[in-house]
Amino acid sequence: MAKIRERYDALVIGGGIAGMQAALDLGEQGYDVLLVEKEPSIGGVMVGLNKVFPTLDCSSCICTPRMAEAAHHARIQLQTYTEVERVEKKGTGFAVHLVKKPRFLIEDDCVGCNLCELACPIDVPHEFDYGLGARRAVYIPHGNAIPQTAVLDVENCVFCGKCEKVCPTHCFDFTQEAEEVTTSAGAVIIATGLQITPMAAKKEYGGDTFVNVMNPLGMERIQSSNGPYGRVLRPSDGKIPRSIAYVQCAGSRDRSIGIPYCSRVCCMYALKQALLLTHYIHGVEVTLYYMDIRAFGKGYEQFYRRAVKEGVKATKGKVAKITEADNHDLILRVEMLDENGRVEERRHDLVVLAQGLVPGWHVGGVVDAEEAEDGFLLTPEAKVSPSHTTMEGVFVGGVAAGPKDIPDAIVEAGEAAMAAANYLERIGWRAMAGAVLGASAAKQEVVETWEMH
Amino acid sequence: MSETPQTAKPAKGKNAIAVLRERHGGMSKELKEYFKEQQRIRKLLREGLKGGAMTVPQLAAACKLETHTTMWHLMAMRRYGEVVEGAEQNGYLLYTLKEG
Repeated sequence: MAKIRERYDALVIGGGIAGMQAALDLGEQGYDVLLVEKEPSIGGVMVGLNKVFPTLDCSSCICTPRMAEAAHHARIQLQTYTEVERVEKKGTGFAVHLVKKPRFLIEDDCVGCNLCELACPIDVPHEFDYGLGARRAVYIPHGNAIPQTAVLDVENCVFCGKCEKVCPTHCFDFTQEAEEVTTSAGAVIIATGLQITPMAAKKEYGGDTFVNVMNPLGMERIQSSNGPYGRVLRPSDGKIPRSIAYVQCAGSRDRSIGIPYCSRVCCMYALKQALLLTHYIHGVEVTLYYMDIRAFGKGYEQFYRRAVKEGVKATKGKVAKITEADNHDLILRVEMLDENGRVEERRHDLVVLAQGLVPGWHVGGVVDAEEAEDGFLLTPEAKVSPSHTTMEGVFVGGVAAGPKDIPDAIVEAGEAAMAAANYLERIGWRAMAGAVLGASAAKQEVVETWEMH
Repeated sequence: MSETPQTAKPAKGKNAIAVLRERHGGMSKELKEYFKEQQRIRKLLREGLKGGAMTVPQLAAACKLETHTTMWHLMAMRRYGEVVEGAEQNGYLLYTLKEG
């Protein structure tokens, strides 16, 4: 595996679908890219999704080939499980300070056999499954992870040493510590993606209290064939749910939780999940409580109509409060907007809150680009140069600039790569690299000549 | 994936894990309690399932555990091959210990 070099053409922060796309577009143009990801695997949120709307294609079938392509591209160097500590302007380019977190094993030697994970005696909630499933203290992040390399979560380690004993390649190195590395890049692309609105944001919905009030990414995992339960069950008792509710605008368009904007994707992902539930569970009743349906993309309105036609109940109603019954069923107090605001209580087995999108990472103290009021990166010329930030040479792609769906995130990441390439040519970054390399080669030649004498 | 050079030789053998334990101050009190509780619950679930296939509510009642606690631990056991799911019974799946 390659060592981090002193100089790259571009740094891409974030190894989700947008970051990978930006890195691939730059790599294909011949630029050397350092792709940094804080998690142990690239793939971001998308690799954990079940299917994508409106085509219902398998999400990981689209994402994993990109992951493999980025990992094997000659011009792209992956640096997973690494945090970006500081990016500072230095001369024409940027000095980049990274902290590589210890996996407690030598990556080159790990063959991803999983034996250490099977031997580990402790189970803890798995972040990839949003806590619904378990992982071990030493684990391979998930089946599609790239790299397929184990990582030891030392905070949950019981220090039994079984992982090391069963490792066929003896790759464990318990002496590893976090390591600071500095490099440089001519341009920076921020593609740090999203988080969903915290489940505790709206106390009235009990998202952090009631076991059967789920977040939508957890539902993605439950619907996935490699998910924590293997099929759709409710978390409180394993019941096959017969009545499921979606509460729209649960985490956006709401000033009371500080998120006044529309997150753009919630209507569509909820409709997609609702439609798929009718395919997965025979006779299930799925109700969407919505204020209005925003199906704005290509084929989206048709998808909405298809979902309703295939049995999803779209009810124009605002959920005011959710309470829990004795058996963990949920009671929704709904203001029926099409019935003069009549208030009704409805009982469901399971509720999914259609949470909004918030920034996955904040640049504060790391990159001197400005954020907008909503916390996403500020793009002052959004209409003509959507990837330009307030800092010259720093570009943004995907949801880091604002909520958007996967196709838009990919398109904007491509635009960020194009803008970064233009910038690198304008400042003559590669020509400077040539000059530096030329000087080094000349110096080497002098040394070799001197040694010959 | 880049790998920076290792500054120290990997700790191997009998005392290798001791290096890590010492550096991180061992298991926290909370983790010790969590692990002990996990072992207690797993023992109960294994004993409960020896009697035959059960749904989550049946197993929870037999082991005097909360249903959601039973569900989480049972799914962990399923993931790591200790438990398999079977037929449906009144809207719930039946789970059994994997043979062998």
